[in-house]
Amino acid sequence: MSRPGRATKVSRKNGLFKVTFVAMGSPCELLVDCEREADANALADIVSTEAWRIEDKFSRYLPDNIVHRINNSEGKSTSVDDETANLLDFAAELYEMSERRFDITSGALREVWNFDGSDKIPTGQDVRRILKRVGWEKASWQRPELAIAAGMQIDLGGIAKEYAVDKAAGLAAAETNAACLVNFGGDLVANGAPSGTDGWQVGIDAINRSQGTAQKLIRLKNGGLATSGDARRFLLKDGIRYSHILDPTTGWPVADAPRSITIAADTCTQAGMLATLAMLKGKDAESFLEDQDCQSWCLR
Amino acid sequence: MSRKNSKSVTATLTTATCALLGTTATTPVNAQEEDTWEFDTALLYYAEDNDRVQDISFKMLAYRNFVDDRVLSMSLGVDSLTGATPIGAITFDGPQTFTSPSGGQVRTVPANEIPLDGSFLDTRVALAANWQQPLGRLSAFNAGVSASKEYDYLHLGANFKLSRDFNNRNTTASLGLAFSSDELDPVGGAPMPLTPMLDVDDLSNRMGDQSKDIIDIVLGVSQIINRNLVVQLNYSYSSSDGYLNDPYKIVSLVDPVTGDPVPRIPTPGVEGPSHEYIFEGRPGERTKHSVYGQAKYYMNGKVLDASYRFMTDDWGIDSHTVDLRYRWPFGGQSYLEPHFRYYTQAHADFYRTSLDSSQALPLHASADYRLGEFDAFTVGLKYGRKLDSGNEWSARVELYSADGSMPADLLIGNQGGREIYPDTDAIIAQFSYSFGW
Amino acid sequence: MKISKISRVFALAAALVLVASGCSSMGVEPWERDILAKDEMQLLSDPLEASIDDHIYFSKEASSGGRGFGGGGCGCN
Repeated sequence: MSRPGRATKVSRKNGLFKVTFVAMGSPCELLVDCEREADANALADIVSTEAWRIEDKFSRYLPDNIVHRINNSEGKSTSVDDETANLLDFAAELYEMSERRFDITSGALREVWNFDGSDKIPTGQDVRRILKRVGWEKASWQRPELAIAAGMQIDLGGIAKEYAVDKAAGLAAAETNAACLVNFGGDLVANGAPSGTDGWQVGIDAINRSQGTAQKLIRLKNGGLATSGDARRFLLKDGIRYSHILDPTTGWPVADAPRSITIAADTCTQAGMLATLAMLKGKDAESFLEDQDCQSWCLR
Repeated sequence: MSRKNSKSVTATLTTATCALLGTTATTPVNAQEEDTWEFDTALLYYAEDNDRVQDISFKMLAYRNFVDDRVLSMSLGVDSLTGATPIGAITFDGPQTFTSPSGGQVRTVPANEIPLDGSFLDTRVALAANWQQPLGRLSAFNAGVSASKEYDYLHLGANFKLSRDFNNRNTTASLGLAFSSDELDPVGGAPMPLTPMLDVDDLSNRMGDQSKDIIDIVLGVSQIINRNLVVQLNYSYSSSDGYLNDPYKIVSLVDPVTGDPVPRIPTPGVEGPSHEYIFEGRPGERTKHSVYGQAKYYMNGKVLDASYRFMTDDWGIDSHTVDLRYRWPFGGQSYLEPHFRYYTQAHADFYRTSLDSSQALPLHASADYRLGEFDAFTVGLKYGRKLDSGNEWSARVELYSADGSMPADLLIGNQGGREIYPDTDAIIAQFSYSFGW
Repeated sequence: MKISKISRVFALAAALVLVASGCSSMGVEPWERDILAKDEMQLLSDPLEASIDDHIYFSKEASSGGRGFGGGGCGCN
């Protein structure tokens, strides 16, 4: 799918090949430890094509994809393909796991919450009005048929990026044994460590109140890293910082959520979902993560 | 909400993710937190017996890790030295009087004691910094600077190193270069070599600041032999140029028959040395070659570290060093490491116990026991423990013993019966702590 | 006498380098480096202690270094 702004750039960095492009509104990067530029170019193609395919298929901004058709179905049922069905099944599981807080129909809340660092907080009435159009329990999902009421919307943005990382990395792994790092805007997965090292060196932007932004270094050999955080998207009113993670059961931002959570897990999808689930727990994020037995870095 | 709820999330999520991605099994995650800062610190106590040198020091190495495998390391060392050291004058069955290095007073050493200098107190501060980074996929580059200061000595240095991997990273070759420029400003002024020790307040044979420059080149190869064994071989070349003497060391002039120091006729009304002594004089250049080999062998959890070094130089000194360490882990978090070191050195061509007063002075002469002929043994034991936090501490105690031998051709007159060479016995105790954040 | 000693050193070093380079068939695959990666198997596993020892022996003996070069000189030799 060739659109303006869709190009990959291949360069060398410390003897590794680095491929950069833009997808899903984020700067994307593929690092490969291979010898020949031809191999790196082939992988660049595979990874970027997959990223753009997923973007085109699931972006809520595009006028002609499955998400658009569902969101404009006016209450009628839509038949979806296997891949979309898998994502909806996954979203349904997350809805249960999170006690209804991870909800792909919560996108409508964006109409009253605009996290631009200003102090424009919606009124209780605004929120109650929107909540009528939010709630996965109001949708009817019987694979492969999905029906949502008129005015409701689904948004797969909370899953699509991490899913794309894992899919693209899977295609790369099928193509080559070379160690790869697939990184879409900070959500990443590693297939093996570059030769001569213990792993890819990844810096996590940590927020430290007294000293500004500091970085923590992680050596990643295999597995995914994903971060959920409010570093750049928040509202500030009366000294209270309203995080951009909204709780669809109340319509308000999750109270006392950590400012940033980074998780390391077997796949980027698991890492991303654990980070989101933990964020949704608000003040209980740390104890939730302790029970999960995964590596996590929580900052308040 | 309930703890039971939380616990089941991971398993459910894993199953759901596998269904979503269409995979049956994934490689488990392997992510290690790397400290941005790492510190190694050590407190050292070194003491020789018989009121000789004692040193208490604190040393620290700090590493700052940057992204892309670049590392900045910095070191700081502070030493506080006290005690006395043999000045090179020969032992004699009568008292001997020496002028102090500053020329301000005299000091008397009782009969039959190895003459030591007066007790000194010296504080030394050393700083160094080193930058390391990869160059492409298989090479790395290191550059560093160093400096140290004592009241009478200043050192400045710079070093570089390039290394490259071969053979699937099983072989690493490296080339290192170091430059050193040191300045000496001894108390009272550096004495002109081979001139006499004079009366109090007579500094007529003293010179101004002195300097020496040193170049070191190291060529190294390390090779992985198998899963449990790695070896290393280095060749080093070192060239020093400038004032290489120890400004505080002297040589006694002795009677060719008795081997006793020749008494000195004092200047009336002035205090001065009791016998004839001259300040030592070493060549203005020194070239050293060393070959160093090391092997590290893993045997079922235990590690044997064995190394050998051969050094030869144009001063006539040959030395052999054998160093063995055996690290024995136990209890999961601790280890014991016995250590054994053997060192033997042949004396410098110009090393003398003393000089025949009836002969003309040689071109170079030094009675510094560290240029003599001796065997030294070190025996030590170290205990280390890793803490739950990932930090580590260790403690070691070692005993060092150097015994000299005096070749017959260096003895003059009756010197054979005496204890001429100042043997060294020292204890080394160190406590270390490593941590990161 | 000195020349033959130095040339002996060179011959020894050269021979060992040749042996080492003939070892290009020796070694391990990347996935066999687990033991070699351990801290205690590094050729220089404790740089601080090595520099402390180097400094002690440099002050008491006429030889120095061999493994590399240290941080700098001092007035003690």
